[in-house]
Amino acid sequence: MKTTSQPGPHADAALSQAMDGLWVRFLPELLERVAVLEAAVQAVSKGKLTAKQREAAQSAAHKLAGVLGTFGLTRGTVLARELELTFARESSPRRDAGKKLAEIAAELRAMIESRKSSA
Amino acid sequence: MARKILIIDDEDDIREVAALSLESVAGWEVIKASSGAQGLARAAEHQPDAILLDVMMPGMDGPTTFRELRKNQATAGIPVLLLTAKVQGTDQRRFADLGVEAVLFKPFDPMTLSKQIATALGWK
Repeated sequence: MKTTSQPGPHADAALSQAMDGLWVRFLPELLERVAVLEAAVQAVSKGKLTAKQREAAQSAAHKLAGVLGTFGLTRGTVLARELELTFARESSPRRDAGKKLAEIAAELRAMIESRKSSA
Repeated sequence: MARKILIIDDEDDIREVAALSLESVAGWEVIKASSGAQGLARAAEHQPDAILLDVMMPGMDGPTTFRELRKNQATAGIPVLLLTAKVQGTDQRRFADLGVEAVLFKPFDPMTLSKQIATALGWK
């Protein structure tokens, strides 16, 4: 019988394999969230971020922060959380913050696109 | 001992990963709901041993869903664990003050999620 305390190496391998399957299934959704962030960052650089865009970006970053670490992308959670906190503020980020935010979004995308199978 | 867990989360990816984790690592039975309203109905119908409840959901959020679960005699006694990606201390204190059994955090480790739940609920 399976227990909660001793999963064992077989459960570990089976779980990793199943997790990879879920990663493939949800990858388009994850990349959509990154696209929402990229659009918001671009709007920051142009000084044209709307309240609706800011809220969408906060939500997308929040969701990414919650899930990326679960798939082993701990740094992805850190980056997404930084964007979430940035877009959580009532005021729009300063225009000159656009470059740094774009770098974070680019790193996030690269990390997600290059995630290797864990099995 | 095989347990029955209800996962209430509007995010498909989190819901599926948590379900996979509890089913494959612990061998627990998992029931899923994608909204607070659906979760209330499934809780009353299936009488799970515990509920893993997301905090931020559109419509009925986690805290509201928790209060509704407690109001209903059929679900009032089911242990509830909140699952949140909120990391700020004020949020954490607010969630703990609701009266839930425990607050768990996203991202979680799929390999140890069931153990976290079992430990929080004092399950052997």
